[in-house]
Amino acid sequence: MMRPSVAQWTQGLLLALALLLPLVSGPYWIHVGAIAWYYALLAASWALLAGYAGQFSFAHVAFAALGGYASALCIELLAFPLPLAILTAVLLAAVVGALIGALVLRLSGPYLALFTLAISEIFRLVLVAEEDITRGMQGLSVPSLFSGNSDVPYYYLGLGLVVLAVGAMNGLLATRVGLFLRAIREDEGAARASGVDTTRYKILVFVVTSVIAAIAGIYYGHFIGILTPNMAILPEMGLVIAMAVIGGIESLPGSVIGAVVVFLLSESLRSYGEWRFVLMGLVLILVQRFAQNGLFPMLEQLGHRRKEPLPAVSAMEEPRGG
Amino acid sequence: MAKDSAPFFSVDALSKHFGGVHAVEDLSFGLARGEIVGLIGPNGSGKTTTINMVTGALKPNSGAILVEDHDMAGAPAHRFAQRGVARTFQVPRLFRRMPVMENLIVPALSDYGERRGSAEERAHGVLQFLKLGHLSGQYARALSGGQQKLLELGRALMLRPQLLLLDEPFAGVHPRLLEQIIDHIKSLNRDGHTIVVVDHNLEAIQSVVTRVMVMARGRKIADGGVAEVLRNPDVVRAYTGTRANR
Repeated sequence: MMRPSVAQWTQGLLLALALLLPLVSGPYWIHVGAIAWYYALLAASWALLAGYAGQFSFAHVAFAALGGYASALCIELLAFPLPLAILTAVLLAAVVGALIGALVLRLSGPYLALFTLAISEIFRLVLVAEEDITRGMQGLSVPSLFSGNSDVPYYYLGLGLVVLAVGAMNGLLATRVGLFLRAIREDEGAARASGVDTTRYKILVFVVTSVIAAIAGIYYGHFIGILTPNMAILPEMGLVIAMAVIGGIESLPGSVIGAVVVFLLSESLRSYGEWRFVLMGLVLILVQRFAQNGLFPMLEQLGHRRKEPLPAVSAMEEPRGG
Repeated sequence: MAKDSAPFFSVDALSKHFGGVHAVEDLSFGLARGEIVGLIGPNGSGKTTTINMVTGALKPNSGAILVEDHDMAGAPAHRFAQRGVARTFQVPRLFRRMPVMENLIVPALSDYGERRGSAEERAHGVLQFLKLGHLSGQYARALSGGQQKLLELGRALMLRPQLLLLDEPFAGVHPRLLEQIIDHIKSLNRDGHTIVVVDHNLEAIQSVVTRVMVMARGRKIADGGVAEVLRNPDVVRAYTGTRANR
């Protein structure tokens, strides 16, 4: 049997710590932890989309909002039972994900980023403007999933969703689909010339990651109990990107760790107000300078003592001409 | 000679316009199995546009591309690749942050016909043939320019190509590697591969091909045996002043 790697040990240890946290911690940190799982789902799925497949989308938090709002509105307007509302929201995210994936097929780099940013902003502004349906900035109330006031069930639900989502995405990446996604990221034209149906896999990755973002949004909405369009503002997207980049944009567990570390840091520095974001920016700069692949892959490399380091991440690197 | 047998790959009246520029105009040719053909012409004569069209990277404005009597004009590039029409690029376009082995198995796995184990076995064979066996674990971008050219050739071979289109395989390579590439191309042709070589290096082209097609201003101006074509006054005129570019 193969011995577990340093990365697997670290993941196992951190998972055990995460499982034990509610037993040793007060309600405040359980609440913070439960929100951290929302960001972890977003950061990990965005890492798959941008880090593995090279699709630098800025619409990821909009998909979380789409999921959250769709589930809540299905319950409020259409009186759907909860499971049906959630299923509808997930399916809607899959369809919209496929649509966006198809729309951005010919876009890459800054063009893709700007296009998805515009889509995200349009969606957010619709949420703000359609007050009669969405309650605008007042916020849309969402029913709880569990009875009682404890956040512990949400904490474990969130953790379970993260483990499931990362497991499913890692499973996908272990197949030939993962190989094709990385080939598309490296050079889409060369991937096509190698027989890869790039259209199919680009749409697939948008569908998978949009569904996970929507599940994150559904979880968040039902947990917090109120949704506002602010969940889709640009700084939220920036936060998700920072989490993934700091943790490791090409490592799904790394981006989960990045999300938890950044969110916990941000919460523990709350008393410093806006200055905590300055600190976040500095952390991001330092990670980009000294550990371009993120903190988790750096740890993994130290464990392996690789002779040759992994080439640095270059999701935005222009493909070379030919 | 293979020229006598019926073509398995042909293009008929192929044209491509970019706005008012006629990059390729009314181009027709056929390739018999096992043939090795040079495609030459001055810069801007439409060679790469032709390669791009017959591999699906560009859609032609009109004309037919017949692969075993099946018209594939306008089909996406991956369909051409899956039908065994493989290519290399002027500047190698590798999956740079992926290991050499993964670069090779992408085409093998792309049509879902092959298992990973068998693809890797075949890739090892290709690496041995190209004398790159010691590099299988290296990242593609760590390879030298010449090794990258060879790896790209290997990636094209992993498609089990019926037709191999090599876009400027001799450009910018060290003279020692040039000989190696020429040997590889000859050896692949001896093994039955049909090959089209596009390049400016007439000397190198002459040493590998039996037939040469010449393009100028988007049109084919000559097609035939190497010596005969190079004596053709139209070809001499088209090439005057450009041989120095090789």
